[in-house]
Amino acid sequence: MEGEHGNSDVKFLIGHNAGRSAIIAAFIATHIATMAGLWFGGARLPQFDFNTLNGYLVLGLNYGFANPAINFVVGGIIHYTSGIIWGVVFALIVHPAIGRFIKPLAALTPVNNYIKGVLWGIVLWIISSAFWMPLLIGPLFAPIGVGVGPFLTSFGPYGVQALFTNLLWHSIYGINLGLLFSPTPAGGSRTWRSTSGVGVR
Amino acid sequence: MAMKLAMVYAGILLLGLVLLIIGALIEPARPAISQSGESLIALGLAFLLIGVGFFLAWANPTR
Repeated sequence: MEGEHGNSDVKFLIGHNAGRSAIIAAFIATHIATMAGLWFGGARLPQFDFNTLNGYLVLGLNYGFANPAINFVVGGIIHYTSGIIWGVVFALIVHPAIGRFIKPLAALTPVNNYIKGVLWGIVLWIISSAFWMPLLIGPLFAPIGVGVGPFLTSFGPYGVQALFTNLLWHSIYGINLGLLFSPTPAGGSRTWRSTSGVGVR
Repeated sequence: MAMKLAMVYAGILLLGLVLLIIGALIEPARPAISQSGESLIALGLAFLLIGVGFFLAWANPTR
């Protein structure tokens, strides 16, 4: 089993290298978060259907309303692709960078990997709430009288709870990504080593 | 250090549980919605899951 870029001193929970591990972990994390978002209504939270929202973005509201199943599937493909790409960016760029800049997170331990995933989820929550929703979904829904508000503070009938529900959604993504993309030293008896090699060497 | 970190995450988990319970208590019956009730439910679930996830990572599934 080989680690990152041919290194045999790092093992992954899933897959044999960082790229493959990231793709699989990100797919699972995206799927769990997406399904949870569809079930949020059961917990009295705003439903987060990113598949449908992505479908509206590419197919338009009129087509999406007339063909909800096609809209959901097309939007789902885009949404899952985005989730996987964000996961690969995390695994190959952000994960090793955090280890380099935040020294307590340098060691390749499951807990450090997890904390990095949670931090990445929070970053994506900010990107989603500050840019994606207000700048893309807001203007799209404006003609039918549905607002998003600055930083997702007035999405349709909801107030600030949509913002915190978005945090929950992205936390679920980050938690699962951090737990599943977990590079650790291959030698069981060795001490945890620096993250400097993973993803950048 | 590891013990201190575990205590922090236990605190996050407990905070999540408290927020979730308060949110559930102040959330009115359907179809009415409460902004603060739903916000607390969302924040409570987020903290709760982050706390649970930490202990899953702490259990070290790769060992």
